[in-house]
Amino acid sequence: MLKYIAKRVLIFIPTLLAISLLAFILNISAPADPVEKLSNTADKEGAANQQSNASKKTKQDLRKKLGLDLPIFYFSFGSLSDCDTLYKVADKDHAATLSELSHYYGNWEDVSAYFHQLSNVQTSHSSLDLEEIFMMNTDIDSNPLYSKNEINDVITQSNFEVNAMMETANPSVLESKFNSLDELYSNYSFLSVVKNEFDLAKVSYEKMLSQKSSWKSYVPQIIWYGSKNQYHFWLFGDGKLRKGLVRGDFGYSYIDSQPINTKIWSKVWISFSFSILSVLFAYIISIPLGIYSAYKKDSKFDRISSIVVFVLYSMPGFFIGVLLLYTFANPDTLRWFPISGIQDPTLFNPDWSFWEKTAHRAPFFILPLITYTYSSFAFLSRIMRVGVIDVFGQDYIRTARAKGLGEGKVVMKHALRNSLLPIITVFANIFPLAIGGSVIIETIFTIPGMGFEIYNSILNSDYPMIVAVFTIVGFLTMIGYLVADVLYAVVDPRISYK
Amino acid sequence: MEQNNFSFKKYAWQQFKKNKSALISLYILVGLVFIALFAPIIANDQPLYCKYKGETFYPAFSTLVNSSKVDSVMNDAGVVEQLQFDITDWRKLDLESVVWAPIPYSPDKGDRYNREYVSPLDEQRYKNSDNEIVAIPSRLRHVMGTDKIGRDLASGLVHGTRISLLVGVLAMGIASIIGVFLGALAGFFGDRNLLMPRAKYIFTLIGVFLAFFYGFGVRKYTLANAFSEGNGLIELFISFLIIVAILVGLRLLSRLFKFGWLGKEVSVPIDTYISRGIEILNSIPRLILIITISAIFVRSIWLIMVIIGLTSWTGIARFTRAEFLRIRELEYIQAAKSLGYSNFRAVAKHALPNALAPVFVSIAFGVASAILIESSLSFLGIGVPDDVVTWGSLLNLGRQEFEAWWLVMFPGFAIFITITIYNLIGEGLRDALDPRLKS
Repeated sequence: MLKYIAKRVLIFIPTLLAISLLAFILNISAPADPVEKLSNTADKEGAANQQSNASKKTKQDLRKKLGLDLPIFYFSFGSLSDCDTLYKVADKDHAATLSELSHYYGNWEDVSAYFHQLSNVQTSHSSLDLEEIFMMNTDIDSNPLYSKNEINDVITQSNFEVNAMMETANPSVLESKFNSLDELYSNYSFLSVVKNEFDLAKVSYEKMLSQKSSWKSYVPQIIWYGSKNQYHFWLFGDGKLRKGLVRGDFGYSYIDSQPINTKIWSKVWISFSFSILSVLFAYIISIPLGIYSAYKKDSKFDRISSIVVFVLYSMPGFFIGVLLLYTFANPDTLRWFPISGIQDPTLFNPDWSFWEKTAHRAPFFILPLITYTYSSFAFLSRIMRVGVIDVFGQDYIRTARAKGLGEGKVVMKHALRNSLLPIITVFANIFPLAIGGSVIIETIFTIPGMGFEIYNSILNSDYPMIVAVFTIVGFLTMIGYLVADVLYAVVDPRISYK
Repeated sequence: MEQNNFSFKKYAWQQFKKNKSALISLYILVGLVFIALFAPIIANDQPLYCKYKGETFYPAFSTLVNSSKVDSVMNDAGVVEQLQFDITDWRKLDLESVVWAPIPYSPDKGDRYNREYVSPLDEQRYKNSDNEIVAIPSRLRHVMGTDKIGRDLASGLVHGTRISLLVGVLAMGIASIIGVFLGALAGFFGDRNLLMPRAKYIFTLIGVFLAFFYGFGVRKYTLANAFSEGNGLIELFISFLIIVAILVGLRLLSRLFKFGWLGKEVSVPIDTYISRGIEILNSIPRLILIITISAIFVRSIWLIMVIIGLTSWTGIARFTRAEFLRIRELEYIQAAKSLGYSNFRAVAKHALPNALAPVFVSIAFGVASAILIESSLSFLGIGVPDDVVTWGSLLNLGRQEFEAWWLVMFPGFAIFITITIYNLIGEGLRDALDPRLKS
């Protein structure tokens, strides 16, 4: 047995690595850029300012701080047209454009030259001085040709178009942008600085098209990066701020820079109390129900309870949740319970004793708890009934009855123990459920537990959090399976692992 | 004589028919399929048939083929009147004769006079041809009410049926192809029985990399564009063909290297590979995985189906594996082997038909859970585009407005009934196909 457990635990390691890597790759390949979001929350000065040099610098620093300026893994698998230093490009949209361009045209040098020139065009906008242009642009009678507003509009438009060009690789879109910008620059001579850079960009674009070598994207290539990569640092720490997973550190959240560990600990007790309470209630209701209806098989009670349980089993959790809210937390019908949250912030006092807190929270817990409970309840009582019916057909039950044992003893001592297996299966799911949370139920009732946290992390692309959740849930699930398997053997001596 | 005509299929069908609730569920399912197939005819704001100014039109059918169909009629005064079928308000026209769809509304168009959650029981408004706002004629009533922008719920439900059923069929189709294939491989060969020359082994491993490279890596932009334009499945199928072609090609190529070290036969621990893969996928919370993946890619209902399919094959694979583990020891497989039949023939012709019965059961239950997952996702508003009306997204609309009970009850019951009938059919199948499990 010990050997079996040791073997299983040993398999944990590669499995966990695989899960975390999968989560890692999934999150890194997401188009949403956390740096963009973070720097936007840091400085909300409007769209025009976003591309300024100062904000570029902050972004660059942020990427460095988060370790995003490194390759993802030890190596990458791509084509010959892929650039091996693409991860250094600060802007995720630009990186996507670059990679698509190099995929189409295959000549990385030309692609990068073109893109570089485009960004030169963009920076040349910042050298334009509105006052100066306004002063310079006069007709013979030194009347201004354009109003300041007009000049400003033209500059903004040109800037906007160039930005858009940096985010698309679609040839027809690019072509039309080139044409429209050409027209713009020939109409407004004060943009000559930009126009010069723009012409260079056009030349390099033509060059990129003429030097097209798209065959390169059909040749596979493996690029080796070495141990200076994001996954390595996540796993073993970077020797500075992060300690790495091997030392139990999951890193920092992108949203509020809190350590993931603290964040999870502060939320997990909520989901955990829900999952453990609901499983407890489910046991209390379903075990007697399952045994009784199996004992009275085909009786009226059995038939009705089977139908009810089956109906509940097919009922989607979110439907039940919304129905409960509609019925019991609706000002128009019954307002018995609060709609959302787990406590009333205006009344809640953190200095209360445990019992006072519990009493305050009880009404908040009831509706979610019903929703939580009913799903495992329906599953459990169905499976209990089938299991007990199966056991009642066995020879040893007949023997027990033949010995003259009382019905109570037959059921409680002989039948029950042998139908414990499904109970263990459900029990093994408690811990993964506590971390994985029930995203849907917690979203419906706005419970600030793990499920809601994960949902928000996904929507806000808080990747360290998601990777941590994947890894922890994976670990707990495997532990759960192992505990269940061991318990099977304990409950049923016929099961043995060699 | 009776004995000779006995076939397992007939027997199973007889057994299935004995189960009343399963049989009724099957009838309801047929009804749902009917609704799904004919949704544009059942619920449409364009007439099925009409006669206008002496000309006959079939607007609902014409727009099925060409969504921006334009036609014109000659006025009495001799003026040509343009009719763009999907924009024209046919109710306003002075039609000579007309046949309307049973539900005269389209799911995506709001009724401007019945906005802001109009209850099916309340008074509904209508603007008649004299431009007066009056009570709605009973033919045009919104029998299940409307949502915030006046879209008809009944029409949304009818069109949502398509998506729900498609999710079930497509996701489970993908899942069962993967699951049966991998489960059969793992169960039939185990760790020791899949023997192949080293050259073939190496070439297959290389082939998997190359196949993914040419199937997905090279085509990633083609695929992404196709999914955002709505014909992603075709491109995905082409990718799949490329993968198969490369794998087969490399296997053929490996025959050239049948000498020395490369030609030696080794056993492939295929069972370990597949079982580990199943374990990894099972250890990841499925809903969170699906939400994460669908948050990454473009919002597309087809993509959701593919993702659900790609993540829910493990149950089927485990069932198939267990069945094959049992079957491969049976006499008829041993006989097939000793007769010198190829592995492929033994699996495909002899083992597979006998292993499929319990797999069908798990597919039926899988369809129910795929529908549940899709509706949960659209309930959370993830992955499904805003303009696609699904049961889950309708229910989500109801969650936001406490007075609109109809937006919760009707879609909720639609989901509930669909899941129930699939579960009942699954139970019926289990009892009919697998006598061992019958109590």
